[in-house]
Amino acid sequence: MTTTQEPAGPAAVVIEDAAASHIRESQERKESLVQWVHGRAGDITRRPWENLAVFAVFTGFYIWFGYWLVVQMHVVGFETLDRLNRALMIWHNDPAKLSALGFDYPPLATLLISPLAIFPAVTSSLIAVPIASAAFAGLTMMSLNTMMRRALVVGPLRYAVLIALGLNPLFLLYAAGGARQFIWIAFLVVAMGALVAWYVTADVRYVMLAGLAFSVAALSGYASLLWFVLTAVMIGAILAKLGADGSEVEGTTIGFTVPTAYVIAIWTVFNLVLLSKPFYWITAASDAGGINPGSFTGVELFRDTVNLVLYGAPIAIVVLPVLIFMGIARSNPMALWLGVLLGAAVVSPALSVALGLTDSPMQLRNALPILLLAVVGGIWVARSADTNNTFVSAALIVLLLASIPWTFQAMKTYRYQNLESNFAAAVSTRESQEGAQTLSGATVGTRDEQATADYITANITGRNTILTDNSQTYAVMLLTGKPDLFVDRVDKSDGPWKDIARDPGRYVDYMLMSTDGNGGDDLLAQMYPDAAAGSDGRLPVIYRTDRYVLLGVPSNFDPDDTAGQPASTDGTGQ
Amino acid sequence: MTTTTTAPQVRARLTDGITGDLGRLLPEGICRTFRVMPYAVADGVVLVATAEVDDPITRQVVEERIDRQVQLVRHTGNEISAAIDEVYPPADGQVETADERRSRVQLARMLTNSGLVTNEQLQIAMIEYSRTGDPLGDILVAHEAITEDVLVAALSEMYQMQRVGLSDFSPDLEVARRLPERLALRLQAIPVAATEDLVLLAAARPLDTDQALDVEEALGSPFRQLLANRTELDQLIQKVHSEHYAEISTVSLMESQPEASAHIVFTGGQKASAVCLGIVLLLCGIVWPMGTLVGLVAGASLIYLLVSCYKLQLTFRALGAHLETEVTDEQVLALDERTLPMYTILVPLYKEAGIVRRLVRGINELDWPRTRLDVKLLCEEDDTETIDMIKSLNLPPHFHLVVVPDSQPKTKPKACNYGLQLATGTFCVIFDAEDRPDPDELKKAYLAFQHVAPNVACVQAKLNHFNQNQNLLTAWFANEYSMHFELVLPAMGAAGSPIPLGGTSNHFITSVLRELGAWDPFNVTEDADLGIRLHRQGYRTAMIDSTTLEEANSSVPNWIRQRSRWIKGYLQTWLVHMRSPGRLLRETGPRGFISFNLTMGSAFVLLMNPIFWGLSTLYVLTQTGFIQQMFPGFVFYAASTLLFVGNFTFVYLNVAGSLQRGEFGITRTALLSPLYWGLMSWAAWKGAIQLFTNPFYWEKTEHGLDGGEHE
Repeated sequence: MTTTQEPAGPAAVVIEDAAASHIRESQERKESLVQWVHGRAGDITRRPWENLAVFAVFTGFYIWFGYWLVVQMHVVGFETLDRLNRALMIWHNDPAKLSALGFDYPPLATLLISPLAIFPAVTSSLIAVPIASAAFAGLTMMSLNTMMRRALVVGPLRYAVLIALGLNPLFLLYAAGGARQFIWIAFLVVAMGALVAWYVTADVRYVMLAGLAFSVAALSGYASLLWFVLTAVMIGAILAKLGADGSEVEGTTIGFTVPTAYVIAIWTVFNLVLLSKPFYWITAASDAGGINPGSFTGVELFRDTVNLVLYGAPIAIVVLPVLIFMGIARSNPMALWLGVLLGAAVVSPALSVALGLTDSPMQLRNALPILLLAVVGGIWVARSADTNNTFVSAALIVLLLASIPWTFQAMKTYRYQNLESNFAAAVSTRESQEGAQTLSGATVGTRDEQATADYITANITGRNTILTDNSQTYAVMLLTGKPDLFVDRVDKSDGPWKDIARDPGRYVDYMLMSTDGNGGDDLLAQMYPDAAAGSDGRLPVIYRTDRYVLLGVPSNFDPDDTAGQPASTDGTGQ
Repeated sequence: MTTTTTAPQVRARLTDGITGDLGRLLPEGICRTFRVMPYAVADGVVLVATAEVDDPITRQVVEERIDRQVQLVRHTGNEISAAIDEVYPPADGQVETADERRSRVQLARMLTNSGLVTNEQLQIAMIEYSRTGDPLGDILVAHEAITEDVLVAALSEMYQMQRVGLSDFSPDLEVARRLPERLALRLQAIPVAATEDLVLLAAARPLDTDQALDVEEALGSPFRQLLANRTELDQLIQKVHSEHYAEISTVSLMESQPEASAHIVFTGGQKASAVCLGIVLLLCGIVWPMGTLVGLVAGASLIYLLVSCYKLQLTFRALGAHLETEVTDEQVLALDERTLPMYTILVPLYKEAGIVRRLVRGINELDWPRTRLDVKLLCEEDDTETIDMIKSLNLPPHFHLVVVPDSQPKTKPKACNYGLQLATGTFCVIFDAEDRPDPDELKKAYLAFQHVAPNVACVQAKLNHFNQNQNLLTAWFANEYSMHFELVLPAMGAAGSPIPLGGTSNHFITSVLRELGAWDPFNVTEDADLGIRLHRQGYRTAMIDSTTLEEANSSVPNWIRQRSRWIKGYLQTWLVHMRSPGRLLRETGPRGFISFNLTMGSAFVLLMNPIFWGLSTLYVLTQTGFIQQMFPGFVFYAASTLLFVGNFTFVYLNVAGSLQRGEFGITRTALLSPLYWGLMSWAAWKGAIQLFTNPFYWEKTEHGLDGGEHE
């Protein structure tokens, strides 16, 4: 043990090392950030039950209405049947193949509805058709409701906006008719909602959510890429205008663009590896239906664009100039951005024509994104109106309600359309449109397909016994609910399929061909035109309708032996 | 800054009453400590009652806090005390007694009159005293205004007690151990000599009556107190009980919960299962070679896909909501420091003499009263350089040098277990030597504990790096940490899933930590293991929005070493907790069970990466049919999906995590994350192999590579 010690010296000198310097710089930099990080700015409360209720109500309504429209009124788009058939082949083909997705549609347009095909009865009964779009319409409505809450629109007005929009005949037709447009439009609206939330709260998380939504939209509908690119530019512009430094602009833009850039890159690689054409997806996107317009002059494009907006989304005529005015005169960057997006939606159909990206331009359905972006713009105008929020919301409702009969009338006679006139006829007359003609000359309904499918289901059970070109007979395949009965171009790809088609007697017992006006595209009908006409004795007609013929294929059938037997009976038909 | 006036006779008196809210112009602590009370305004001048009109410290403290002209007016102490009690009703135990005040004033005078403290130092200490109520002498020592020896000398004179120096003292262990270790630690006292009739007891502070009774009862003999330096006392207590501490720190968990200890890497059951599985696979491989391969590929692909999807799901959840326990700056500011408990900080050190000074500075910058800190600097016995450095700094007593006797396993968790036995804090936290915690992290953790559910035993702060811009590797590391601590862990916590804790900045309730068995000294990721173990026993972990910055490894070999240890630890943790899968399922529930396996499954994914990448590359280059056969139908689609989903997930999570933190500058490096993933796979294989060859070896991470200055 020792005595006590003398007091020690003073404390050590403080040194700011590189780490402390970095920490200080980092803190200073974060104080200058425009966006919120490390926490949440004031935002609306979450209301999951309200969201669920909106989703459930609108989805349920569109399924109910779609059932009536599709199953009872027979107003059904064949593009939807094609996608559902591909979904069915994913699960139930022999062998089951994901490659049934094909490259004719954006992959998610089919993949996202593939769960509907797990049980074939759901698809063969056509109840899957309205579900395929109703769920996405419900998602759209849910997003719009949340957007309006964030825009401080009161409850009754919110619901009135949704109802007015939901009853818009164009919206109604495509929400209930299984249209694939609603898939990407839904995610586009989700992305818009996230970006409005970002602008209101400055919370960087919403940019990321928007980016993810756009990535899903991109693979659901390539048209959404236009708005993706514009949005990426506008995010950077808005941040720059608000004083963000270069790294914040760059980082935020990267966070937004990465998901979409990644999925597009992957899809391009897929196209390259499987088709040796990396950009096949751009040129081959299908927009089936509609009049082949021939060529357009610039004046015609302008006139048709005006008509499209005037009849399909007339509220855009009011909303667009208001947004531009607010954006420029009142320095409201979000309004300007929404105005640019809406303007892009207006001109994109004409642009598609000019660039040769579509074979059915100026279709009335191209007004759908215009309509929805106009509604989003109207919501933002309401938010920006502060004390006049209620008035602007009410005006939006009035405009939407007024456009209902206006658009409905236009649907009866608008030149470039798909099933709009038949929809209008069904709603007006409550009469089935089975057998009716569209304005483009196509026949509405699935009578022939159903009859052929019923016959096949009742009489043929062997797997892989019916050779067919699924690109033309998909509706029949879908309605049988048994894609494994068919030897199609998905089973083994085109090369082996053509080998089978050249010598079908060794492999199959039947051939199913499309003989409709478009049956000229049926590869089997091209290979065996006499058989398609029913005049080839070597291939007896087993069953025939106006649009399809089912032929028997003897095992000793020799395609090169033209000295055939006398023509057999015509088989039963309609 | 205001000035006092020398106005003539003031008519208003405190006894006339206090005008409006004037009484609350000064905080309660200031009022009681300096015995002042603002009570009236006369001609725009605030009148402040004080007993010490001529005291320069009182004057300066009042002027700094009242943003108007001030005049000190002499009043009696009783008048002022009565007024303070009226404005701030006294709470039990939080008001200084008359004796305490006398002692404090006496000490202050003694030190100032001797020239041992300056007025400025005394003022700082008294202001802190006004906030915390801790002994003035302890505050002065903690802030290094005086040394502990000076304080002991002053106390010795005040209490007329003898002092004793213990720096070169060799204790008689039999005598020293007469006082039970727990009591010795609690009272900071130890017997140093004994006769038949009397024991000489060295104590840090004079014992009160109850404490003296406890000591006498324990010793079974009368005793005489000798005042001693707290640091020397602490070292003596450690020396006397080191054998006991060393044994407990190594075997405690192994003996109390052998099924939870990683001292056995593979149990008999696991070995048997592995052998059986191997035999089955071999037989299947012989009978159905391609089918077996396809099955293995399908199984691996499924796990891969599930792990990726799980992380994506966690990310969506974290992006959609604020999941950390909210603690606002206002709440921190409003904390009454008098109510703060002792907080133990465990800092394991090994061959880190170069960063000790910075570490000490960092700890002293924490916003927590130093007199309520219990900092344990845990050094291995053979690390003489670090030990000598710490001794040379003559640190104040809230820093405790703890020398862990050299024994196997020589691991960080064992050192922490050793230190935990000496801990006196209600809460404890681990920091690494190079850590830079947020100054208010302790207060945030403390407040979080007040707000969360009672079964929350751990609060985890976030970790990130201060040298993220040093090179590509550090940027990747920062991306990864951002993803993990900004997104994944908060989402796991919110979902009630077991959280693998981060290596540092985990705050515990000390008693619960001891009850859990503390850390497993045989597990090289003891933090992950503890996180799972506490969940199994019904406790939970919450996250707070406070970040500790660490040094990211900037050297690839060093990084590989560190990461291989982590992977090895994850595999160890999985093996330990999956010894009884049924029991784990019961204790964590289905969600927790799945979450645990998917989280630990990330180590498996890293092992599989090179295999799948190799197969993919080989197939693309050679179009080998054998490889194509291994990926038939849905297996091919699942594998393709996970190839793209997995890569996307990893890249996107890193981007999202960095954005979440506001680290916009490193988001572009996140785009190159697949390369980083490759490094992780390399380290994973190293760790997996070491699991068999050297399971308890601790790959020491070298620090100080950040390119900054080091003392």
